Amino acid sequence: MNSKPITLPSEAERHKLIQSPLDGEGLKLLFEAGLAWLTTNQQYVNSLNVFPVPDGDTGTNMVLTMQAAIHEADNAHSTNVGEMARTFAQGALMGARGNSGVILSQIWRGFSRALDHYDTMDNELFMRALQEARSTAYKGVVRPVEGTILTVLKDMTSAAEEAVQKTSKLSEMLAVIVEAGNASVQRTPELLPILKQAGVVDSGGTGLYFIFDGMLRLIQGEPLDSSATLVKPIEELDLANTMETIEEGQDYEVVIDFAPKKDFSLESFYEGLSEIGTSIQVGEGDGIFRMHIHTALDKRYDPIAFTEKAGTVKKIMMENLQDQMKSRAAEEEKLKLEPVNPGDIAVVAVSPGLGLSKIFASLGVAAIVQGGQTMNPSVKELVAAFENLPTDKVIILPNNKNIILAAQNAAKVSVKQIRIIPTRNAPQGFAAMLRLMPDGTLDENEAAMLEAISEVHTGEITTATRSVEIDGVQVEKGQVIALFDGKLTDSGATLEEALEKLLQQVDMGSFERVTMFYGEGLTAATVNPLVDKVRRQYPKHEVEVYDGGQPHYQLIIAFE
Amino acid sequence: MTTQDNPNGRIFILPQAIKTVARHAALQSYGVISLAPSNIAESVGRFINKDMDYGIEVRSDEEGISLSLNLIIEYGLRIKTVADQVAESVKYNVEKTMGVPVKRVDVNVRGLRISNPD
Repeated sequence: MNSKPITLPSEAERHKLIQSPLDGEGLKLLFEAGLAWLTTNQQYVNSLNVFPVPDGDTGTNMVLTMQAAIHEADNAHSTNVGEMARTFAQGALMGARGNSGVILSQIWRGFSRALDHYDTMDNELFMRALQEARSTAYKGVVRPVEGTILTVLKDMTSAAEEAVQKTSKLSEMLAVIVEAGNASVQRTPELLPILKQAGVVDSGGTGLYFIFDGMLRLIQGEPLDSSATLVKPIEELDLANTMETIEEGQDYEVVIDFAPKKDFSLESFYEGLSEIGTSIQVGEGDGIFRMHIHTALDKRYDPIAFTEKAGTVKKIMMENLQDQMKSRAAEEEKLKLEPVNPGDIAVVAVSPGLGLSKIFASLGVAAIVQGGQTMNPSVKELVAAFENLPTDKVIILPNNKNIILAAQNAAKVSVKQIRIIPTRNAPQGFAAMLRLMPDGTLDENEAAMLEAISEVHTGEITTATRSVEIDGVQVEKGQVIALFDGKLTDSGATLEEALEKLLQQVDMGSFERVTMFYGEGLTAATVNPLVDKVRRQYPKHEVEVYDGGQPHYQLIIAFE
Repeated sequence: MTTQDNPNGRIFILPQAIKTVARHAALQSYGVISLAPSNIAESVGRFINKDMDYGIEVRSDEEGISLSLNLIIEYGLRIKTVADQVAESVKYNVEKTMGVPVKRVDVNVRGLRISNPD
């Protein structure tokens, strides 16, 4: 699946790319760079996918389409730019995957048509190729929706039309195009309301932007294989996740918030950090930067001294990773999983937190895979969980809607008989487990479990990571929000308020039992007063509370 | 006709309403140039009734709706991918707006339009 690693061209090759009109080999290098950079940012593009069908595969589809195109171009040994573009477009057409892939193939088809019969490409021809790409791409749809990949292409082409008057250097022209592409991507929510509602920019347009940005980065000699210098919004820094794999020399985790100086250069900041430690991430929000690094014991104070040179330090957090990993590992070992009798049905559950894992273990699952909202397990991890069990009958409980797809893919690659019960949260998973008949047939179990998950209702309480309006509920970033069966129902300033509002909205009369699982960062001491209040308010209900340990969600609540 | 119960009575969704949603989704889908009449009655009917939603057949039973689309697609695209995408988009939009499961979407490619000969 992965594209081959792209080696940056030497100084001389790069010089040639910048100075002379582009030949077939040069164009191929650009396409490869576009693919490499898109691949690096594939997951991000996937995460934006809400239109036309929110299935989260735009980035993957665009990468696969570009890979097919490059693969075709690999077989063409022409240095003629027209010939190269033609085989490339041909490959894209044959390998087009998904809506965005089809549009991309159409873009390259138009692009290549303009280059037909030319040996090399100068800026004038580059602009004409983009114009042809634009008109070809727009012909493929009768009712174009603006705020999509088509809009971004259109804006980049307009920028090229202006730039061609001013410069004959490919690098300068590409810089203008990329800048216009970025600006266009940022405008997409204004044009397409569904994007604005979801608080994202258009995924296909972003993918196209990354392709051209990759070309520019190649010419400018910037790395394509790591999004190291990509600044993410602070809330996207996945700090919890970097914990999962710590290696030698990663004794301490240091996180520093700082306000950068005026002449702050991200590039040199990264460079400096990379000499101190690993797992470097830098995020930005409201002018404050947050940097994250893992260092060896003797270097644990170095990031602080170094960051002080780059700006004003606001806050420092330091954690002993080895120690933390040890205690975590020790706790995880305590999970006692049910041994599987040969031939019986084995259940694999995905669990986001230790407390929930323990409950799954007590209900008799055969294997647990760690994973949740923002840490989806890979297909490989899922397969590894059940591949060695002494049975060929496996049921997977994904317990998160984002993991259902990975589970389906795991089912495809395995030779075992696998059923996926589309559980969207832990309570559904528990309900399904209660119906497990290990010596029954897969069909019986599937039917019973599906019935069980339709009977349990789930409330979730979490903190909004961005300001959005969904289902008519307006939410500000940082507010505590309540969901019922996956639908946003209300929001509040505190956990207590959100919980109260959630219970008011739920038809409590139709349930008898309320079971709450509190998340990471909360303790029984903080949760118990809330639970007592609920018990007083709903004296007829059985209210139970357990330590779930899940990240992101302060509370997961099962209503039965 | 598709029926659903609500606390106050029943909801009937006529094929015509489903066709309108499906038509809109299909025409917004990349690569679809137009719908094509699927039978003689439709070919003739569309000259008389300009607003007629031709090219889409809707059938429904207890399990859900089945749709059949007759399309003209842009030449030069990977037909299979375009057809897959149309089916997916139509299914998604009908289910989202109507709240009834779509169990099947058949796509018949009736022709291609060549706007860019290579």
